[in-house]
Amino acid sequence: MRIEKCYFCSGPVYPGHGTMFVRNDCKTFRFCRSKCLKNFKKKRNPRKTRWTKAFRKASGKELTVDNCLEFEKRRNVAVKYQRELWSKTVEAMRKVEGIKRKRQAQFIFNRLKKGKQLEKEEDINDVKKNIHLIKAPHAGKAKVMEEKMVQKLQEDVEMGDD
Amino acid sequence: MGADFDRPLVGRFEHLLQRDLQKAENEVSGLHSINMGKSKQIGNHNSTRKKSIGKTWKTKRYTKHLDEIHADMKPSNAAKLLKQEVDHDVTGSAQHYCLHCARYFVDAKALKEHFRTKLHKKRIKLLKEEPYSHAEAERAAGMGSYVAHKTVEVKTQTIEEDMD
Repeated sequence: MRIEKCYFCSGPVYPGHGTMFVRNDCKTFRFCRSKCLKNFKKKRNPRKTRWTKAFRKASGKELTVDNCLEFEKRRNVAVKYQRELWSKTVEAMRKVEGIKRKRQAQFIFNRLKKGKQLEKEEDINDVKKNIHLIKAPHAGKAKVMEEKMVQKLQEDVEMGDD
Repeated sequence: MGADFDRPLVGRFEHLLQRDLQKAENEVSGLHSINMGKSKQIGNHNSTRKKSIGKTWKTKRYTKHLDEIHADMKPSNAAKLLKQEVDHDVTGSAQHYCLHCARYFVDAKALKEHFRTKLHKKRIKLLKEEPYSHAEAERAAGMGSYVAHKTVEVKTQTIEEDMD
């Protein structure tokens, strides 16, 4: 007994759950729920369906190549039960899972960094382009002109006095 | 008096307006779904194509999957499929078969015409990608590293021209 993976969305298929489709050439397809089976019947491509793991991996949304992904595998080798080996394996699984989660989270964090940077650039550009909405282009200029005129007048008056 | 009479009318118009707005919004969202390339709905009226969407998924109309066609394209299988024995139960006595669309045609002319259609060209394009498999699903689920799918060279079969 093992936890299978869904053909369409790559989610886990626990014993007693989901459906299996056997094509007339003996090829089997496992599905975790009717949603995935229906999409298969409609001949949709999991690589192009945005909510599947296959899509997320194919389009670089998630961690794809890493050593932490190499532990879980379909080994097809029967191992005789040994208490020590069993407990060690479970311990190792926990550790690997922890590392995997951290690395995947880090990958997504790094991927989103780019967006934040672009957003900042965009914001700066936006302000540069639309500064006239905050501050009128000729604001304050009239006052400066007025001051200049006053100064000149005063100078003229002084000149006249002399 | 007149003002009192007008008020409910205006209210009714507002209600209608709101409904129209909602309708427009729905239409916009519908358009969006078309843009996503998922809706197979074609046309608004009684087109034959529109009626048969559900029926195309029925088991009795089951057509081959892309990975089955990839298996068919192997030279040994392809040779068998392209030179089938005369079977009077099949369209065109099974003599004119399009390998990539898994379809029989009445005669060589129809087959040749088919090669020029959008349907066939689209199929060829789809086949150029390596087929999706359960192994890929498992890799995507975290069992092993991701391996990018390859492209396969696919060409429309050549038909032997009769000399008569």
